[in-house]
Amino acid sequence: MENLPRPTDAELEILTVLWSRGPATVRDVHETIASRRPTQYTTVLKQLQVMAEKGLVMRDEDQRAHVYEAARPREWTQKQLAGDMLQRAFNGSAKSLMMGALASRKASKQELAELRALLDEYERKSR
Amino acid sequence: MTMFDVWVQGSRALAVGWTLVHSLWEGAVVAVLLGVVLGVARSARVRYWAACFAMIALLAGFGATFYQVMPRETGIAPKAPIPSAPVALSPDDGPIGITRTPWDFSDLLPWLAPAWMAGVLLFQLRCLASWIAAGRLRRRGVCGVSVAWIERLDALRARLRMTRPVILLESCFLDVPVVIGHLRPVILVPVGLLAGLPAAQIESILLHELAHIRRADYLVNLMQTLVEGLLFYHPAVWWISSVMRAERENCCDDLAVAASGDAHEYATALAALAENRWAMPGAALAATGGNLVKRIRRVLAQPEGPRAAMAPALSAGVLLVTCAVALAAWQTPQQSGPAIVPVIPVAQAPALEPAPQEKPAPVAEPRPPDQSRVPDSKRQTEALEKLREALQKVKRGEPALLAQNERTQTADPIPAPYRAWLNEEAVYIITQAERTAFLQLKTDDERAMFINQFWARRDPMHPTPRGEYPVIAKGDPENEYKKEHYRRIKYANDRFTTKIPGWKTDRGRIYIEYGPPDEIESHPSGGKYTPEGGGTVDTFPFEQWRYRWIEGIGQNVILEFVDTTRSGEYRLTMDPHEKDIPPAKQEEASLGGRLPMKVGVSYVTVGPSAVLTRITVQFDTKDLRFEDKDNISTAIVAIYGRISTLARRPLSPFEDVVTVRHGSADLPSFIAANPSRIYEKSLPLAPGSYRLNIAGKDLGSKSSGTHEIIFEVPQPAAQDAMFSSAGPGEKAVVVVGADKKVRITLPIDYDATKLSAIVTSAGGKMISRVGMPLPDPCQDRPQDSGCHSNYTRTLWEGGQPFRAGYYNLTAVVTDSSTWTEKTYVVNFSVH
Repeated sequence: MENLPRPTDAELEILTVLWSRGPATVRDVHETIASRRPTQYTTVLKQLQVMAEKGLVMRDEDQRAHVYEAARPREWTQKQLAGDMLQRAFNGSAKSLMMGALASRKASKQELAELRALLDEYERKSR
Repeated sequence: MTMFDVWVQGSRALAVGWTLVHSLWEGAVVAVLLGVVLGVARSARVRYWAACFAMIALLAGFGATFYQVMPRETGIAPKAPIPSAPVALSPDDGPIGITRTPWDFSDLLPWLAPAWMAGVLLFQLRCLASWIAAGRLRRRGVCGVSVAWIERLDALRARLRMTRPVILLESCFLDVPVVIGHLRPVILVPVGLLAGLPAAQIESILLHELAHIRRADYLVNLMQTLVEGLLFYHPAVWWISSVMRAERENCCDDLAVAASGDAHEYATALAALAENRWAMPGAALAATGGNLVKRIRRVLAQPEGPRAAMAPALSAGVLLVTCAVALAAWQTPQQSGPAIVPVIPVAQAPALEPAPQEKPAPVAEPRPPDQSRVPDSKRQTEALEKLREALQKVKRGEPALLAQNERTQTADPIPAPYRAWLNEEAVYIITQAERTAFLQLKTDDERAMFINQFWARRDPMHPTPRGEYPVIAKGDPENEYKKEHYRRIKYANDRFTTKIPGWKTDRGRIYIEYGPPDEIESHPSGGKYTPEGGGTVDTFPFEQWRYRWIEGIGQNVILEFVDTTRSGEYRLTMDPHEKDIPPAKQEEASLGGRLPMKVGVSYVTVGPSAVLTRITVQFDTKDLRFEDKDNISTAIVAIYGRISTLARRPLSPFEDVVTVRHGSADLPSFIAANPSRIYEKSLPLAPGSYRLNIAGKDLGSKSSGTHEIIFEVPQPAAQDAMFSSAGPGEKAVVVVGADKKVRITLPIDYDATKLSAIVTSAGGKMISRVGMPLPDPCQDRPQDSGCHSNYTRTLWEGGQPFRAGYYNLTAVVTDSSTWTEKTYVVNFSVH
C-alpha cells in the first residue's frame, strides 16, 4: 500500500472533503467544494472516478448513488505527504508564522497525564 | 585587493561591526529591565506590551547606535549629522574605537559585518519562505465548513465585536487550529476536529483564534520575525520574542475565557486538542516542557476572566525607564569617563522616581468588576423575570390577535397572499398599530405598497424616523432586515417543523423574533442533572438557548425548551423543573438491567502491509433472554460499535444484530454447554491508537451494556503471513472468466449473513471493495437439516474488467450462528 500515488492539489481537496464529511456521494462532495469556489459537477465526478482508479478513494457500488470514501485515513496520507521533503520544509517553516491555540510543539505523554489530573482536580473542587 | 577586501575594510563595515558590539550590552540592559517588569507585572496584557516595547527599544537602540557611529566614520563633519543626540560629545571625539581600542578583537571587527549580513540574509529568506508556505497552507488541502459552523463563527465574531470577515476552513495538513493572514484572515482547523469535539469546546477554541485576529497578532508576529532575523545573534532578542509569544497566547486565553465564560470548558478543549494531536503520527516528539500545563493552570486559576491588571501607569513608568536608559546608554562606552556621569542619572532620575510612587496605585484604585462580562446572579434573575413576563404577554396576546384576524376576514376578506403575509410571515414583528392600519387597507395595490414600506422602515441602511412618511430605500436593493427575517423563517421551518410548521413552534417563534442564540445546549435524548438538594433527576429532551443580550429584556438570558411528549415539539418553559421526568416515568425510562460483556481486540496481518483489527465481544449465554416461537428459542442482541480517535473523532461505526437460536426443548443444556457467545468484527485500520466504544442490547430483556477500551494497532508484521480462519476443507474458489471478470465461490450455511470482500493488487493497492447481505440458502428447507450451499458472486459488477496482474482477495463471511467471521484469503492472477 506504500505505492499509492501522491494526490494532486485538486485531489487533495476532494480527499479533505471526504475526511471531513465521511463517505459521501458525488453530489455531497460537489456541494461542499462549490460553496467555496465555482466548480462543475461533472469535473468532480470525473476527478472521483480517476481517484478511484488510482486507488485513492473507494467506491461503494451497492447503492444507486455511488458512495465514495477515502481509501486511507487522513493520518496515513499526511504521513505520506510528510515524506515529501519539500512539503515538510514548507509546513515546518510556516509554523513560525502561524498563530494557534497550541504551540508548534507536541505535548508529551507525561504532560497530557498532568493536564488530565489538573482538570479532574478542578472538576472535583468545583463540584 | 579584491572587492571583498575593500568592502570589509571600509568604514561602513566597521560601523556595522561597532554597532553589533554595542548592541550586545544594550540588549542585555533591555533584557534585564524587562526581567524586572515581568517580575512585578502579573497581567498578561501588561507583560505582553512590556515585551513588545523591549523589542522596539532593542531595534531603536540598534538603529540609533548605527546612526551615531556612521557619520563620524565618514569624517566630514563629526558633529553636524547628530542633531538628535543631545548628549555632550566627549572632548576627544576623533574616530571612535578604532584608534583607541587596544583589543586584538579590533582586527576581527570588520569581519563581523559580512558575517552578520549573511546571517540576516539567511533569516530573512527563511521568513520569506515561511510567508509563502503559510499562504500555500491556506490554499492546499482545505475545504469549506458547513453552513452551521459559518453561522456559529459569525455569532462568535459578534461576541468579540469584530466586524472584519473571517473565513473558517478545514485543512488536512494541520493537527492544531491556526490563524493565517492579516488582511484576509483565515482560521484553519484540522479535518474532523469540528465533528470530533463537543461544540462548546470548539467554540472556545475558535474564540481564541478570533482573539488572535482581533489583536492583529499575525501582523505583529510577522514584524517580530523580521526583527528576530535582523538581531539574530543576540540571545536577548530570542528571549524577548519567546516572552512575547507566550504572553500573546495568555492574552488570547484571557479573551477566550472572558467571551465564553467557562474556563473549565476551555481548558478541557485545550487538553483535548493536545491529546488529539498525540494520536496523530508525523512530526517527532519534543522533550517535556511545562508550557501547556502552565497555561491551563493559569486559565483555571482565573475563571472569572482577566484578573485585575496592574496599574498600566506603573509599567508605563518602568518601560519609560527602559527606553530612556536604552536610548541614553548606547553612547556611554564611546564616551570617556566624565560623559557617562551626566548622562545616566539625568535620564534615569525623572523616570525612575515616579515608579515607586505609582506602585501602590493598583491597591488604591482596584479595577471595577467588568459588569458586561460577568453578570451577577441577581441581575440575571431580574433579566429572566423580565423575559418571562414579556413572553407571557406575547402568549396571552396571540389568541386575541388571531381572533381579531378572523373577525376582519369575515368582514372584509383579504386575498390569501396578503393574509399569509400578515398572519404568518410578519406576525411576530408587526406592531399593533401597523396591523390595524393594514387591516383598513382596501386594495391590493395599497397592501403591496404597505408591505414595501413595512420592510423599508426596517432596513438598517435607511433609518427613517418614526412618524415620518417612510421613504422606500433607493440605491440599495438589498434589505438586510427583510432578508434576515425570511432566512429565520426558513431556518425555523427547516429545523423545528413537527406536526405544526416550524415558524409556529415556540423555538421557531423565539428564533424569528430574537435571531440565532449565542449558544445552544441540546439534550435530544434527555439527560441528568443534580438539583440543589442532591441526587440526580432524569429529564425529558430539552434545549437551553442562551442569548447574551435581548433588547428590552436584558443580558445573558437563558431560555429552556422541553419536549415532554418526546414528539420533537419543544415548548418554552417558565419552570426549570418542567423538564424533570416524574419518578414513575423514570422507572420506565431506565427499564432493563445491565448486560455484562467482555471486549477484546487482536490484530491479524493479512497482507504485506495490511492489518485487520479483530474486535471480540463476549456475552454470557445465561444473561440473554430467549423467546420461544415455533419450538425455537431465539435471543437477539443488537451491537453498536464506534471506533474513534483518542479525541473521540469518529472514524467507523458498525452495527450488527446477532441472533442465537436453539431448539426450545433442551435450552438449559444448551446454555450449560455454551456458557458464552462471541461476536467478532474485523476492520482494516491504519497503525495507531484508537478508542472503541461498544454498546450491546438484548432486545428481549431490554438490558444493555457498554464498554470502552483504548487500543493500539501495531505495524504489520514483517513476514508475508497468510491468514485464514476458515477450517480445513472450507475453501473459497476464485475463477477468472474469459471476460476478465472475477467470480468468487464460498461455502455458506444458513447462519451466514453477510459477505465483505476486499481485492488488493499485489502491491497492496485497494482495487475493489464490496459488502452485501448473503441470501439464505435454507429458504425452502427446514433449518435443522443443516443446509449448506455454495454462493457465487461476481466481483466488481458494473466496473471495468480486471487488468492483467496479481491480486489478493480477502473475503470475510459474517456468521451469526457462531458470532464469528470466517476469513478467506486467496491470491489469483489475471492474464
